[in-house]
Amino acid sequence: MFLAPFLAAVTKRAARCRRPMLWPALPPLIVRCLLILLLLVLFSAIPGRAQAQQTAPQFDDVAARAAAARDQQNLPLAIELYGQAEQLKPDWAEGWFYLGLLQYSSDNFPQAIEAFNHLLQLQPNAPPAMALRGLCEFETGAYDDALRDLDEAVRKGAANQPRNEQIIRYRLAQLLARVGRFQDALLQYQFFAAKHIDDPDLLLGVGLAGMRITTLPKDVPAESRQLFEAAGKAGYIFLSGDSQGADTEFNQLFARYPTAPNLHFFYGTLLFMHGPELAIPQFQSEVAVAPSNPAAHAILAYSLMFAGRFAESRPEAELALAGAPDMEMAQLALGRALAETGDPDRAAEVLNQVLKRDPNDLEAHIGLAVMYARTGRREEAYRERMVCLGLAK
Amino acid sequence: MSAWFALAWQSRLKRRSASFAAVALVVLLCVFASTRLAQAQTAKPGAAAAVTCATCHAGVSASYAHAPMRHALENPGANPVLDTHPKLTVQMGAYTYTVQTKDGQSTYTVSDGTDSMTLPIRWDFGQQSQTWVLEKDGNLYEGLVSYFHRDQALATTPGDGRITPHNLTEAMGRKLNAWEVNQCFNCHATNALDGVRLKLNTLTPGLDCERCHVGVEQHMADAIHDNFTTLPKKLKTMDAEDAANFCGQCHRTWDTVVRNGWKGVVDVRFQPYRLENSKCFTGNDRRISCLTCHDPHQPVNHNDAVYDSKCLACHGGGKASKGATAAAPPTAKACPVAKANCVSCHMQKVELPGGHAVFTDHMIRIVKAGEPYPD
Repeated sequence: MFLAPFLAAVTKRAARCRRPMLWPALPPLIVRCLLILLLLVLFSAIPGRAQAQQTAPQFDDVAARAAAARDQQNLPLAIELYGQAEQLKPDWAEGWFYLGLLQYSSDNFPQAIEAFNHLLQLQPNAPPAMALRGLCEFETGAYDDALRDLDEAVRKGAANQPRNEQIIRYRLAQLLARVGRFQDALLQYQFFAAKHIDDPDLLLGVGLAGMRITTLPKDVPAESRQLFEAAGKAGYIFLSGDSQGADTEFNQLFARYPTAPNLHFFYGTLLFMHGPELAIPQFQSEVAVAPSNPAAHAILAYSLMFAGRFAESRPEAELALAGAPDMEMAQLALGRALAETGDPDRAAEVLNQVLKRDPNDLEAHIGLAVMYARTGRREEAYRERMVCLGLAK
Repeated sequence: MSAWFALAWQSRLKRRSASFAAVALVVLLCVFASTRLAQAQTAKPGAAAAVTCATCHAGVSASYAHAPMRHALENPGANPVLDTHPKLTVQMGAYTYTVQTKDGQSTYTVSDGTDSMTLPIRWDFGQQSQTWVLEKDGNLYEGLVSYFHRDQALATTPGDGRITPHNLTEAMGRKLNAWEVNQCFNCHATNALDGVRLKLNTLTPGLDCERCHVGVEQHMADAIHDNFTTLPKKLKTMDAEDAANFCGQCHRTWDTVVRNGWKGVVDVRFQPYRLENSKCFTGNDRRISCLTCHDPHQPVNHNDAVYDSKCLACHGGGKASKGATAAAPPTAKACPVAKANCVSCHMQKVELPGGHAVFTDHMIRIVKAGEPYPD
């Protein structure tokens, strides 16, 4: 209504003007109109400002009541109030965190995930929120999402707080084993062993990871629990530092379950951390128990390679690759063994297969350095060694 | 007549005696032969009691008796360093350490001024500079102080400087886990391990011949029967790569250091690793092997000039050298600066932090003044 004459006047003025007009020189009437318009705009803003002034105390009040309800452990009320507060101020990160935490504490996992989603949109690098969302995702069965979140959260330091460390590591260990990252899972379980935290479910988890079972502990049939728990106990003793006690425990298990697959594999894996030559007899036993298991042949080949027994490593690696042609561990062992036993061309071919997938694979570069050194190609060997030193940093 | 009888009797006596002696000799020979046969039949590994490496290899055995590796570990009562320093004392923070030796027995005492703890020194690691492994309540501890040859005094054990003890036990030493113990003894003793089990009571302190020359027992058992088909592997013929890996079992291989990501000046102790980082290192060339410069049966020679001939074997300036092969070129660029004391310029001397000793960096290079230690 106000704008029509104003615009018409501006247009007329513009038409009269010879040069392009950046800002019209306005007649007094229009100036008055403009001032009126400005005042109206200002007045129309006043109710908004008043509303905002009203919202702030209202938000502060709701937030304070939410915090009080949380302190009093009144979870339903606290959830309700934090929800209200977030409606009033959706960019309140702290509110989303507490809302998520309270929903998590009340076993409302989907709602908790939603709250943490809001928070992580506001603060994408908040490890505690990421960890809590991961825990909720675990509970809802979204295991891949849970692994992604917990893995990243732990890498960013979420497990550094003693209050949350146990549950985060416990869930992460289960999820790592579920996707076949058994060694990583055992590293998480090592935390509990070092602190001598004991629990049957924990032992079951250790046993499953050690025996390379991807089933989650809650899904293990009752009749299978005994073996896995016993294996977990032996592994747990080892991880807690009692190597002789673990040795006794494992040997008893071997006598009780002479044909159980991956039992020797488990003990060998633990021993490997302290010296490949200690692990070799266990992997040899595993190969005897399960001769068609490529993973067992591969880790035996890899251990023999680490121990410098290249001639023995080579046939084991070949056997592993016959069953699983892309198995990286076997390729690395074979490549190095070939380099050491006088077949440099094939060594380069095999090692380059690994490097094609991962150009920064340290072990492949070590193999190439050795291959060049063994064939007197000094400059190439030096170059590869320097690549390795760079990667090792 | 009587004379004849007498002679005849004597003669009969002699004959009887001779016959008796002959029979006795035959019997004795049979007994001796059967005993030898029995000995030979039972001469399995470990049964050749009287035969040692020195029986045939007297020279090298005699020189090795004085080599540092032979004395990498000693039992109490065989420690000249402590015998000549019967009382060593040092104050480290709130604690006083005293190592006392009397009648061949050494004790290690730590005191906080109020209480004290004294333990017998059971294991001496090292020949000149020494670290002691102590036993308390069935656990082994690395003494928090060691003896340093250069200073002729006690100081913090290398690597333990970051430890702040809160009680006498922590001040006494760092508790060793089973794997550390195994590694320590496996490199400082012979027959220390049976699988994962440490054999503290039966190990041989120091590196005996069989620690490197695997199979010597079989060789000795066979050699007394003139059987030389079971000779241990000839280590002298290893090329540079093999030698570095062999010595690196204890001095750390290049692979081990790289895989573990160990960095910094402390790496100077890992000579095979440093050597393999040299531009001139060639795996299949024996002229750059550990054994080219070092005879493990002899003490280390600290005269730099001794090593010149080893460098000139490649950098001789055109002369084809011993050890050159088709793969390893006979000559490399000659040094434009000097033909003597190569090591003094090309192998930096590095003070090991907290080690109270200077090490020779085996990464052979043109060392430039002021450049940082190359990792």
